Amino acid sequence: MTMTNDPETIDPAFFAWLDGELDEAAAAAMAARVAADPELTMLAQQHRALGVTLRGVFDPVALAPVPDALLEAARSGAKVIDFTAARERRRGWMSSGWGRQAAAMAASLAIGLLAGRTLLSEGGSEVPVALAGGQLVAASALKDSLSTQLASAPAASGPRIGLTFRDQRGAVCRSFLDGAASGLACRDGARWRVRGLFQAPEGQGGAYRMAAGPDPALAALIDSQISGEPMDAAGEAAARTKGWR
Amino acid sequence: MTASDAFDTGLGELLPKLRRFAFSLSRDAADADDLAQRTVERALISRDQWQAGTRLDSWLYRIMRNIWIDEARARARQAKVVRPLEDGEEAGFDPRPGQDAAIDLERVMAAMARLPDEQREVVALILVEGFGYREAAELLGLPIGTVSSRLVRGRTALLAMLGE
Repeated sequence: MTMTNDPETIDPAFFAWLDGELDEAAAAAMAARVAADPELTMLAQQHRALGVTLRGVFDPVALAPVPDALLEAARSGAKVIDFTAARERRRGWMSSGWGRQAAAMAASLAIGLLAGRTLLSEGGSEVPVALAGGQLVAASALKDSLSTQLASAPAASGPRIGLTFRDQRGAVCRSFLDGAASGLACRDGARWRVRGLFQAPEGQGGAYRMAAGPDPALAALIDSQISGEPMDAAGEAAARTKGWR
Repeated sequence: MTASDAFDTGLGELLPKLRRFAFSLSRDAADADDLAQRTVERALISRDQWQAGTRLDSWLYRIMRNIWIDEARARARQAKVVRPLEDGEEAGFDPRPGQDAAIDLERVMAAMARLPDEQREVVALILVEGFGYREAAELLGLPIGTVSSRLVRGRTALLAMLGE
């Protein structure tokens, strides 16, 4: 049977296989059938890339802090709720989610959402982040760039700063690009807490181009955090003068 | 833990995922947060209807989906048309790294918004939220075959809109 992209002609078991819905024997049979059929192989790659794209776009929403208005709405109906405890639980949920996510992403080819663990374990002297008091914070050259560099006057080498803006709690946040990683860090006291770290897309062509687009995850993270407009050059310089407070 | 405590704790923990589901149903961030907000409000009013020991996430997602569908009907009455994305349309984000990425986000949300409601919700539940076919079918009150065929049509249409 010849397969085409017309969904009506594709065996539903093909998609069930893609989604892990088949039992072991049926999955093995479908895997063999796909492997033997270049058209089905291509279709499988395209649909996997689509899944990666969707998660790459929407997962950062679930990783971002919940807006105060929504927290308040949930809190208003609670008879007794320990606000801080709820927030800590959410953090716990998020950090466990990140690990799972990193594994899932690596397994499915793509944008390497949150490469933090990888960088921490493999980066050696290049590591741009460190653990301080259980928090991921910017370190070494990245920390220096975040504290001193103006996006309007980028350094010739090393980390580059993208956008500077205030988040919904008023903290100054800056996006950055550092070698293979890009991310977002926000000022917390004297530190830059890393709120997201993403592996730069690998050069991939064909069916993967879509999945390998440049950091939709970072853009989504910024969109979920930003309050108002990003700072212009003057605002950025003024914020630096005030020590990013 | 009482049922009420379980509800409050669970709701607090599920807020991030609820937001994600809202984003995948909505066409922009403002609509999404509005939807999440109203879902939480309705959930709190109806909290006695949730049975302790059953899945709170499915219960909340069902509420959100019902609100969304009700509003979709209202939107249809207003004959509000989704504007198609023009080629090379600028998203208006400035020099943030990955300005193309911001366009990707817009493109994906716009493409999702162009799916029929019944396909979008299945795509969101299964491909974004990670529900199994059977779980999604139970949540939506549909036969599993209906869910899987809507998923095929939805993901195929998305691929046509987003792929090369």
